[in-house]
Amino acid sequence: MNLETDARRWKLRDDVVVTVVNEGAVMLDLESKFFFSANSTAWAIAEMFEAGATRGEVHEICARWGAVNGDQLTIDETIRQMIAEGLIKPTDASRASNQTGAARKWISPSLQKHREPLQRIMVSAFDPGLPLAE
Amino acid sequence: MIFAPTLSQHATAYLCGPVRLSLNFGEESWHKALNGLLSQYDAPWPEPSADIFIAIERGTPPHDFSKPAGNYLRSYRLHVDRQNSHLVSLSNVGVWMDFDEVEGRAKILVPESSDNETVIEEIEQQLVLLLARVWSNEGWTPLHAGSLIAPRGKNCLFVCAPSGVGKTTLITSMLCRNWGTLGDDKVLLKNENGAIHARALSGRVHLHPSLSDWFPEIGEIAKWPRYSRWTEKRMVKMEMIWPGQLLEGATPAALVQLERATRDEAFEVEPMSFGETLHTLCRQIAIPSDAEVAKPLIASAAALSGQLRAARLFVGNNVFADASNCLRLEKILQELLP
Repeated sequence: MNLETDARRWKLRDDVVVTVVNEGAVMLDLESKFFFSANSTAWAIAEMFEAGATRGEVHEICARWGAVNGDQLTIDETIRQMIAEGLIKPTDASRASNQTGAARKWISPSLQKHREPLQRIMVSAFDPGLPLAE
Repeated sequence: MIFAPTLSQHATAYLCGPVRLSLNFGEESWHKALNGLLSQYDAPWPEPSADIFIAIERGTPPHDFSKPAGNYLRSYRLHVDRQNSHLVSLSNVGVWMDFDEVEGRAKILVPESSDNETVIEEIEQQLVLLLARVWSNEGWTPLHAGSLIAPRGKNCLFVCAPSGVGKTTLITSMLCRNWGTLGDDKVLLKNENGAIHARALSGRVHLHPSLSDWFPEIGEIAKWPRYSRWTEKRMVKMEMIWPGQLLEGATPAALVQLERATRDEAFEVEPMSFGETLHTLCRQIAIPSDAEVAKPLIASAAALSGQLRAARLFVGNNVFADASNCLRLEKILQELLP
């Protein structure tokens, strides 16, 4: 897929749970069970996708926050990562207001995937762990 | 589906933390078999905030039921779906539960089976599922972790580890040094006035008989009833060994993730970042694959991570055979607490 020419609108999947932490967020994909740590800018980009956004809209708003031409690669890299991880999916929804983060300070976006997923199958509804041999 | 609140001669109520379960057992033998599970949530609590009625009857799932796919949660024993306000769960041997969360009523149907032990274990799993859901509905987050509170302290330190790594041994070693605890593997968390508070749920600890060798002061553990057929561990009332050391609640301030050491050192400590702490906590919370239910649990873990000083604690083999190591361990744990 050529992201630079992609005009589709993308939306954060409903089963990606976002929890705001300090200035960023952690995102748990309930399907893959992987966590992602997002810094404030990556979280702001994800927040745009909560309502549905195109690549162009994301770049436009990032520019308002202070992103310059040199930042376009890292913004695209973050969007590509969200697509590759399946966190965002194409949507038919129309443009949302994208009012999010209007006063954000620009820093380079960072989305880090945690090394290990949470357990898919649990011991019980109280104990999610995997038992070792006693 | 409406369940009539009929009570037979086998009806009993249990207080399980903030929840009162009223159970109607179709067979007296089930009452006896399930008493061990249901009576373990016996830590002192104020008045229950939720009343749940459960009927356990002989039978098979309704003919028009759809088999749960595990969209809400999958465990080794259960496939659980959430259908509007109902949790519907089917176990491997066919124990079926329909829990109506709005009505606060559940029906558990138990099939005929020659494997009675497995049937009882799977009824237990259905009850644990129900309790975890109701605790969560009442604003509590169930955390599968041990806890320790230093003598005269008010803050607790969580001990996290997979089963079998030595969580209970570490907790036992500190209980023998007059530390307090909220339990060796279960605690409930709640956000109160912007801070996470922890409460004890069970006054029982699960001790391996071999612990008597390292800690002779705890007496003979083998005389206590076995916890389950899968483990040698015994379920022991804390008060019988460590009177006054089960505390009702505490403010969480630290966490250790216990790991087995690969080097010769007795103990090694490695600080953990916020992200690692959150990840560790989330691996100790059964988070269903249902975004609406998962969100408050993760929010609770994130808020808790922010108030914890956390570290990986690598523990060498047989370190507790040397009593001086308990003193070293105590200092390490004290340094993590404020």
